Amino acid sequence: MTFRHERLPNGLEIVAEVTDDALSTSVGFFVKTGARDETDATWGVSHFLEHMVFKGTTELSADEINRRFDWMGASANAFTSEEDTVYHAAVLPAQQHEATALLAAMMRPALRAEDFATEKLVILEEIRMYDDQPPFGADERCRAAFFAEHPLGRSVLGTVESIESLPVEAMREYHVRRYAPGNIVLAATGAVDFTALVETARRHCGEWEPLPSSGRDTPRAGRGPTGDVRETIVRPAATLAYGVRMSAGPAGDDPERFAAKLLATVLGDDSGSRLYWALVDPGTAEQASCHHQDFRDAGLFATQLACEAGDAPALLDEVTGIYAEAARSGITAAELEQARNKLAGRVVLVGERPRRRLFSVGLEWARSGRYRSVADDLAIVEGLSLDDLHRVMGSWPLHGPAATVLAGPSAIPETSGAGDPQGAGGGEPV
Amino acid sequence: MKQQLFSTTLANGIVLLGESLPALESAAVAFHLPAGAVHDGAGRCGLATLSGEMMLRGAGDRSSREVIESLEGAGVQWAHSVSTSHASFAGAMVARQLVAALPIYADIIRRPRLPEDELDPARQMVLRNLAGTEDDPAHRAMSALRQLHYPAPWGMPAEGISAEVAALGIDEVRDYVARRVIPQGTIIAVAGRIDWPVVVERMAELFGDWASAADAPPASGPRGSRIRHVHHDSQQTHIALGWSAPPYASDASYEASAALAILGGGSSSRLFTEVRERRGLCYSVSAGYHTLRDHAMAVCYSGTSTARAQETLDVMLAEIRRLPGTLESAELERVKARAKSALVMQQESSAARAGDIARRWYHLRAMRSLAEELDRYDRLSVDSIEAWLADHPPAGLTVVSLGREPLEVPDDIQA
Repeated sequence: MTFRHERLPNGLEIVAEVTDDALSTSVGFFVKTGARDETDATWGVSHFLEHMVFKGTTELSADEINRRFDWMGASANAFTSEEDTVYHAAVLPAQQHEATALLAAMMRPALRAEDFATEKLVILEEIRMYDDQPPFGADERCRAAFFAEHPLGRSVLGTVESIESLPVEAMREYHVRRYAPGNIVLAATGAVDFTALVETARRHCGEWEPLPSSGRDTPRAGRGPTGDVRETIVRPAATLAYGVRMSAGPAGDDPERFAAKLLATVLGDDSGSRLYWALVDPGTAEQASCHHQDFRDAGLFATQLACEAGDAPALLDEVTGIYAEAARSGITAAELEQARNKLAGRVVLVGERPRRRLFSVGLEWARSGRYRSVADDLAIVEGLSLDDLHRVMGSWPLHGPAATVLAGPSAIPETSGAGDPQGAGGGEPV
Repeated sequence: MKQQLFSTTLANGIVLLGESLPALESAAVAFHLPAGAVHDGAGRCGLATLSGEMMLRGAGDRSSREVIESLEGAGVQWAHSVSTSHASFAGAMVARQLVAALPIYADIIRRPRLPEDELDPARQMVLRNLAGTEDDPAHRAMSALRQLHYPAPWGMPAEGISAEVAALGIDEVRDYVARRVIPQGTIIAVAGRIDWPVVVERMAELFGDWASAADAPPASGPRGSRIRHVHHDSQQTHIALGWSAPPYASDASYEASAALAILGGGSSSRLFTEVRERRGLCYSVSAGYHTLRDHAMAVCYSGTSTARAQETLDVMLAEIRRLPGTLESAELERVKARAKSALVMQQESSAARAGDIARRWYHLRAMRSLAEELDRYDRLSVDSIEAWLADHPPAGLTVVSLGREPLEVPDDIQA
């Protein structure tokens, strides 16, 4: 594996992790924009725009784009998050130029008013679809409560109201501002012909107008709520209750984030973790898991719980009790070893699939302008110690102040009467 | 690229399959045991799933907890599932860990403790999962479709039925494992960075002296009604419909799946274009092919808000009716390109390959190489698919809707 990097005069960055004997090539445009770059007036525009990018350019119809991707046998798609919008395609190596050129053309969409009106209906269906599914909005509401007024708390899809009232002109203006070449990374993994990739980019992206500044102007996010915030969502049709709990964790620019991920694996991985043995293995909860999520300047530990509605408050208390006990008594060497082996195995398995590596390489470069190889990631996992995990628990107590949202059929008692968990404080308002 | 495929059969009937993928760092193993939900038995829907869960709860010298910890301690990404036909245990790992992982799987499969005190926790876990599927409307619609369309017990939900799971006892679990977790019909597949002779030797040590009597296959019963509406208080109505198709073991399954891919298999497919792109009726719409060993089905799905569900169903049906006689060669070329590149890219995942060669063997009783598979795609033509469609036009549709209001299903598609 070799890493290559190039920058076009207009600011577009090109990065590639080249594996000569790979069977496929993955390419993607990583646009550094997402829900946090929106305002009340443009809420949902990033994700809506991601859909509109597939509706064609002045030269290409939507049907033509769909046909060309299928014609080259591409597995192509896109996603939008709080901070990034990513367009990607996995193809056989012979199609590298075709796939890259098509994605490049799409980055300059026509944004026709009639397409905008039709696609608005699809977005509204997508909102309704997720709203009908577990956790019934509890995750989005919890992130909103965690980040309070900060734009990282905005739901990516927007709301029915914000999408209905969004004018096409606002999307066009957002596109010009956020899709400037200096705000985009073209990444590729697998069997990449890097010289050809740069040539394709020069030809198809070289003319894109640079903007003097296309950076992000939202303020740094804080460390979440200083006291517990609780909300409930009532869904009469729901069978189980779904709880989401978010407490502060290391940010994406904090070196402690790796230890945070290992800690979340010990405490709340889908299997073999403390939450698993306490709640899932006995059949008490359908799901009880914890993971660490990081943004560029913020981080959090997210706990997800699914259980009988009547059990939810007590089980949430049990979860915080498990976190408090871990902070008090520490992690064992055996737990550390198991979690390290588990993560190392995942790193290797992801590492041999170019279509999965694309996201690691592209998102990391878009975020930090740095590259980490599979070997680098393995070395980080191997190097983590019990001290690292204990330090993270000390600085970022998972049983501390948190935003918690419960969604369920109706009768979810407010609390189990166990009182608020003891937080170690240290939080600041965002 | 020359594919390195291996197969052998142990004296007790276990089929052992392998694919060497020396470019990978990983190895994966998949155990497909003939202990799927089709053997649950009347009034015991969920027995296979509960038994599979119990097999993980202590095996050989390992306690329930030690089974999981030994797998995870070796860095194994493990998975366990029960489908209509099989109970499957699988794992993907850094290749050098395979030697350590295989004895753990041998314990799970040959020496499960099935302790009585684990029955209630295991049952609670199965019941919680069942409650969770109640909250997944798309899953419920597709599950109802299979249940109506396939003859019992082939369409029964593998995850079980709550009232029946609640009544199962430890003796039924032990009896089920003794009857169904047997060498005859077991397929073990290994893929990735492997040394085939070493794998065969190790498997023979671990599984060679495993013996038990063969069990009778299940009897097929009647299928369900053609049309069903399931009331659910949701914003969207979920539509699942299907009609019979040739099973994968039949050579015509390639014509059938190509026709379905043209109908709804990619973003340039007819359903995606007409239902979503032109009309904005939904976020998801698709058509695909679902196969069991002796039965198979063409399946279409969409989810859309209640007020637009009837129009969505009408457009889907119009596209299904329009299919015979209208295929274009450009559509077929796109389907071929997608299928071929998916086949090649699958070679990048040891876990995907182990699962795939095991499944294919179950259907074909043989391995099929990538070259043979690609050649079969090359031989697909508009004429061959049209000929198949002319003999087997979409008919006798089963239609399930799940949502606030039932839909009108025209009579002519039910015949």
